Amino acid sequence: MIFYIIRRFLFLPIILLGISLIIFVLFSRLSEYQRLATYINNPERLKSTDLDKLIELYGLRDPAIIQYGRWLKNVFSGNLGWSYVGKEPVYNAILRRFPFSVELTIFSVIPIILLGTWFGVLSAIHHNRPLDHTLRIFSVVGWSFPDFVFGLFILMIFYSSLNWFPPGNLSIWASDILKTSLFRSYTGMLTIDSLLNRRLDIFFDALRHLIGPVITLTYVELAFILRITRSSMLEVLQKDYIRTARAKGLSEKVVINKHAKRNAMIPVATVSGQTVLGLLSGTVIVETIFNRTGLGSFMALAAQQLDYASIMGGTLFFGFILIIGNLIVDVSYAVIDPRVRLE
Amino acid sequence: MNKPSLLLDVKDLRVFFYNDNKEELHAVDGVTFQVYCGETVALVGESGCGKSVTSLALLRLIDSNGRITGGEITFAGINLLHLSKKQMQGIRGKDISMIFQEPSTALNPVFTIGDQIMETIILHQHVNQKEARDIAEGMLKIAGIPDPGKRLLEYPHELSGGMKQRAMIAMALSCRPKLLIADEPTTSLDVTIQAQILELIRDLQQKLNMAVILITHDLGIVADMANRIIVMYAGKIVEEGNRQDIFKDPSHPYTIGLLRSIPRLDIHQEKLSSIPGMVPDPVHFPSGCRFRNRCPLADPLCQQEPSSALISDHHFVYCHHWKRKAELQAESFTNE
Amino acid sequence: MKRNRRTLFRKFFLNLSAFLGFFILFVFIVVAIFAPFIAPPKPNKNPYLMPIVTWNGNPEAPSPEHRFGIAGKRDIFYGVIWGTRTAFQVGIIVTFVSTFIGLVVGSIAGYFGKLFDEILMRVTDVFLAIPFLVAAMVFTTILGTGLDKVMIAMTVFSWMYPARLIRGNILQVKEEQYITAARSLGVSHFFIILRHVLPNSIFPVLIQASMRMGSLVITAASLNFLGIGAPQGYADWGALLNYSRNWMLGGNGEALKYWYMTVFPGTAMVLFVLSWNLVGDALRDFFDPRLRI
Repeated sequence: MIFYIIRRFLFLPIILLGISLIIFVLFSRLSEYQRLATYINNPERLKSTDLDKLIELYGLRDPAIIQYGRWLKNVFSGNLGWSYVGKEPVYNAILRRFPFSVELTIFSVIPIILLGTWFGVLSAIHHNRPLDHTLRIFSVVGWSFPDFVFGLFILMIFYSSLNWFPPGNLSIWASDILKTSLFRSYTGMLTIDSLLNRRLDIFFDALRHLIGPVITLTYVELAFILRITRSSMLEVLQKDYIRTARAKGLSEKVVINKHAKRNAMIPVATVSGQTVLGLLSGTVIVETIFNRTGLGSFMALAAQQLDYASIMGGTLFFGFILIIGNLIVDVSYAVIDPRVRLE
Repeated sequence: MNKPSLLLDVKDLRVFFYNDNKEELHAVDGVTFQVYCGETVALVGESGCGKSVTSLALLRLIDSNGRITGGEITFAGINLLHLSKKQMQGIRGKDISMIFQEPSTALNPVFTIGDQIMETIILHQHVNQKEARDIAEGMLKIAGIPDPGKRLLEYPHELSGGMKQRAMIAMALSCRPKLLIADEPTTSLDVTIQAQILELIRDLQQKLNMAVILITHDLGIVADMANRIIVMYAGKIVEEGNRQDIFKDPSHPYTIGLLRSIPRLDIHQEKLSSIPGMVPDPVHFPSGCRFRNRCPLADPLCQQEPSSALISDHHFVYCHHWKRKAELQAESFTNE
Repeated sequence: MKRNRRTLFRKFFLNLSAFLGFFILFVFIVVAIFAPFIAPPKPNKNPYLMPIVTWNGNPEAPSPEHRFGIAGKRDIFYGVIWGTRTAFQVGIIVTFVSTFIGLVVGSIAGYFGKLFDEILMRVTDVFLAIPFLVAAMVFTTILGTGLDKVMIAMTVFSWMYPARLIRGNILQVKEEQYITAARSLGVSHFFIILRHVLPNSIFPVLIQASMRMGSLVITAASLNFLGIGAPQGYADWGALLNYSRNWMLGGNGEALKYWYMTVFPGTAMVLFVLSWNLVGDALRDFFDPRLRI
């Protein structure tokens, strides 16, 4: 196991380098003029007639390998170029928006895991009975719902008609308070910061804005966890140690909740990384639909407006986060499954 | 010698399974036997004869695709089939315990040995964590596991097969049950370990004065361990008797075939015998005597259900022709 | 006979869901084939571009003339019908090409093993490290607008799944005893792979492909929904839904009035993906009983 983790750590830079290479190759398909835009932080300067001079200045006609080296150096020093969409350096734009997406992901992953495993276990216990079928229909429909379609339905009903869950990150009054010096930012996540600032009203306002996107992401991503839990639970329930547990005189509740669930959760933990991956890319759509500020909507906006610097930087960042996330998941197996620790 | 008291009385037990084609499988079909305090009863037969299902039925642990459809299981004067789920859970692991064939799959891989043993103790003996730990440690020691304090904290995969089975036994016996059901307890173990485990079971049986139902297809073990032997075939009992009765005077053609199929050192044999034919498909058991399609003595009479014939005290056989057993030559059971 | 009823119920349910999947898919195929008759395009115009039917930018409710209403100056009914073709086109072409690439890469990795395997699998890891939607988005923005660009982008980032599947199957078969036996008899390695691995892998690959179909179509529609993929007015469900977004956000409490903008293309989208998912499930149940759950 330790060997495996070390191996994964050794591959980490290789994979990151691979991602950067893909991005760079894509990037170099653009013309020099398009690439020039990523270096200029004042659009007015692009109107000057001497674009070729600027291209020369930034070495955009140098051999690809030299350009790649230069770009990598920039990336390592935190210089990802100028974001036209964010009107600030890409690096800052990403770091400022990332906490919002993390907040949304965290708030979604909790109900997904809880409901997904709960429904999955229920489904397995009621194998091939009406409750099982109902849950399977519920999940296959959710699985087939594109997040933007479900999001639009939610908006249509719960915002436009009922006005329960408004779009955006915060109400106007709350974001006005955020701009004052009275409100200190600690994590960048609104719910946590508002609690740290002892502003319960802002906390509830942020929460109210989270509900719509969270429901959307939860329903759309729930099916995966539900299915894995169900099949793994069905498998575990056939095992000898479940019979042993029953033979000991344990109640069915303890047999299921203690002996079966713990084992059934091992494959679920394996795929939870993929769920977070799905959620993170889900933020691209969901944040756009619900008009939220975040890394996802930033990426969508950058793509719509062909803001290449932001797209490159954002993709690199996404890749980095996902690799780290998967690594954490791998290490966490060891905690759940004692057999892995030895290997 | 005063007669030991009756512990378990199984009457006309029937367990049916249902397959995907909605066919009924009569896995156990009218089984009747008794177990007395402190004795060892061996349930013997080929795989699929219903011996494991019988034992699981005693604990009412039949899988969801099967059902106990009839009979009575009276344990210490209580009919187990009339108990509520909760009352039944109070019996399992406390009064009747079970150990299984494959210790490596019968122990939960994600909990420590200690967790799993203490769980039973806390459940049935209403003691606190600390006391349960002491009892568990004591049980491991009794079960012959060295350094029990350390083993309590280990996971099943860290123990050898023999050690796991010892831990299973410690777990099963931690509440001093009156009856232990051992379902092929040594089949998956090395021969040398087998002897140790059997010795351990016998030893603990005397210490705790419990009855043991030993389920096995290994007649060597039976000869070694059992006071009484019940031979099952295709969901029914074909012969029952004391150890001497069965080994010295087997009376059912199936029992005779079974005994002839073990190699013996004391008798010169040209060939090892085996019973011709196959165990019938459980959906299509023959009517009457279920052994008749493999039996050298079979005749039209066998299409009727045989009733029990008492050969001697405690020795029953379910065969129309048991008196003709002398006709069975060694050749009758040799594969051509 | 409680048990019997349950078995019957299960079989019925499995058949029902499989039947439903194939039935919906069949309806979509019919709609796609007969699109020119169901929603006749204007002569001499690209039928995949939804014609502009009004100069009023406001949506219009369903009427006998425009059965599903009007969104973004275009007839929703026309878009939904021709969008079926777009969905099939994207799903089938991307699945086919990416599966083929995956087959080649996976076979090479599994067959040659060692260094080849290591390198190809690291490359796979790299491609898997970027979320599919983000990757497709990035690639499309760089290639430029157009459905073909969307399909290229999606192909480049989806060959890894069949590649891994095939590689796994080959490695597994290599371990089997009968392969060792065949090899010891002097049967060539390549022939063994051809003879034993590929037939065994066809169905898993098929099942995986039909399961992936749904997510591919969703991703393509997502790009079009964001306005990154197909050009303005392209007949695509995602593009149609894009028109409705602003009305859902800024409907002044009256978004329900514009329900048809979301409900018609949205339902088409969900049913299409649902049918592929049900078909995938049915195929898996049928061909791979080990996975039957």
